[in-house]
Amino acid sequence: MVEFIVRRSMRAILTIWIAITVTFFLLRLLPGDPTLLVVEGDMTPEMQQALREQYGLDKPMLTQYWLYLVELVQGNLGTSFRQLQPVTEIILSRLPWTLLLAGSAFVLTILLGIPLGVYAAAHRGKRVDRIVQMFGITGHALFVPSIAILLLVVAGSMLGWFPIGGAIDPDTRGLAAYFSLFHHLALPLFSLVIVQLGPYALTLRTNMLEVLGEDYIKSARGRGLSPQRTLWRHALRNAILPALTLMGLQLGTLVGGAVLTETVFAYPGVGRLIYEAVGQLDYPLLQGAFIMLAITVVVANLITDVLSMLLNPRIRT
Amino acid sequence: MSAPTETPAAAVKPSPMSSLKRFVAKPSGALSLAALVVFALTGLIGPLFVDKPGGLGTDILQPPSAEHWFGTDDLGQDVLAQVIWGTRISLTVGVAASAIAIVIGTALGLLGAYVKRADTWVTMVTDLMLSLPLLPLMIIVTAMVGPSVTTLTFVIGLFSWPEVTRLIRSNGMVVVAMPYIDGARALGATGWRIVTRDVLPAVVPLIVVSVLLTAAKAVISEAGLSFLGLGDPDSWSWGRIMLNAQRSGVISTAWWQTLFPSLAILLLVLSATVAGVRFNDSRDPRLKDR
Repeated sequence: MVEFIVRRSMRAILTIWIAITVTFFLLRLLPGDPTLLVVEGDMTPEMQQALREQYGLDKPMLTQYWLYLVELVQGNLGTSFRQLQPVTEIILSRLPWTLLLAGSAFVLTILLGIPLGVYAAAHRGKRVDRIVQMFGITGHALFVPSIAILLLVVAGSMLGWFPIGGAIDPDTRGLAAYFSLFHHLALPLFSLVIVQLGPYALTLRTNMLEVLGEDYIKSARGRGLSPQRTLWRHALRNAILPALTLMGLQLGTLVGGAVLTETVFAYPGVGRLIYEAVGQLDYPLLQGAFIMLAITVVVANLITDVLSMLLNPRIRT
Repeated sequence: MSAPTETPAAAVKPSPMSSLKRFVAKPSGALSLAALVVFALTGLIGPLFVDKPGGLGTDILQPPSAEHWFGTDDLGQDVLAQVIWGTRISLTVGVAASAIAIVIGTALGLLGAYVKRADTWVTMVTDLMLSLPLLPLMIIVTAMVGPSVTTLTFVIGLFSWPEVTRLIRSNGMVVVAMPYIDGARALGATGWRIVTRDVLPAVVPLIVVSVLLTAAKAVISEAGLSFLGLGDPDSWSWGRIMLNAQRSGVISTAWWQTLFPSLAILLLVLSATVAGVRFNDSRDPRLKDR
């Protein structure tokens, strides 16, 4: 078991290192001189040279890479071109919001997806099943900003049920602050869950149909267990693990969706930060944001894997 | 049983016409195909009939009317014209990016399926790509190269192949394990010949499905990047129309400016997805006559 965790952790570190390396070289090899973008307008060649030295861009690429890695291990992702603050600080102040949003979406999708998938599989060909199937195919075609804007206009502006921007009302304290937090979280969260849920439930339904065809299910039914009990006790137990793994594979997409929803709702997470940094061409910030999100996704995936292992008696030794 | 002489021939090589007939036999096939044709025509010849939106108009933020079917934006530009011009870009990027992803994905998938030593690497790189948040990665690269239709096409294409690779690899492995591949090898065929003449044709139907699904995803990616301000500043795209609404702060009031591009994205992507699923089903002999 320890060996499993160590092996998975090594793989996670390797993944993060490769992601960092690829982005580093990709960005250095691409056309475009970043120093030209620090300040618009006229710059003398001397000023440009000074800037290049400041950012270490005059050194050989491998030296730059090594220096970058050394700094990165110490938690330094460079300085933002525009905000003139350390990138790490800026991102860390925004990351909790993205974690809250994406994490809640992760949990809620699983909580709604499992019963939906199981129910659809058990009532194969019935109306519920057909709705899940339709929702599953449509889900792939949903554009996150479209859903977010729809919710914002209908539930936010027209009905006034939810606030349409921000993450919390700064004037609230105690219990009211928590309420405000969830009140603000609702619409961005629903946008993500609506987009994820259909395809997720559909895949679970397919898994479940396979499980229901297995011998041990027939034997459980043969021993006289009720269909309900067979379904929810025996079959569901074997569907939960793939459900978790499957959601783990969706993490990258989930974070991408969070970037888009945060943009629509002015939610103060890393996604909204990326949107602002794009407008200001703040490359160190963009690169740092990608690295931090990649680390988040890889670590979350690691946790999901370890959790699956703990839940799976066949792997647990 | 009624026509024994015809059956073997039809089973060996179905003609394109009969495949098409089977494809449109169900409403989902016919409707999705029709929608795709309408989008293709709109993108191809639509811009010939409407001027490229630009400049300032007099009718600002008008709701849909007989004169402006999809309303106007805060600069007085016609949203219908923007959507029509956007169709061209969405289709171009979708098709071209999908083509890039399919070529890379198929090549790597077949490599992994046939060459055992390469398989470890192919699987590792594919899993790595799939485990990263690709949208933020596409954002940095696009911002760095400078937004343009070409950039978007290449960035989306170069980051969309892993799913194709996984599909082709897993199905290619099934084909490679079949006796007729052993037969070809015993007859002295080279690896290249076996892969191109025997394995590739067997996965072609899957490639067709992948083209549709990858193009659908590419359209969504293009809209996402344009919505975040990384679209080509000189051409219209559905994501950019929505971004304009967001930037000018009229999302809650000018619903037409976000609704119509949203519907366009939904319809195009949905019909490509449904067509992909229908193509898959229509080829499955087990599902025949359904």
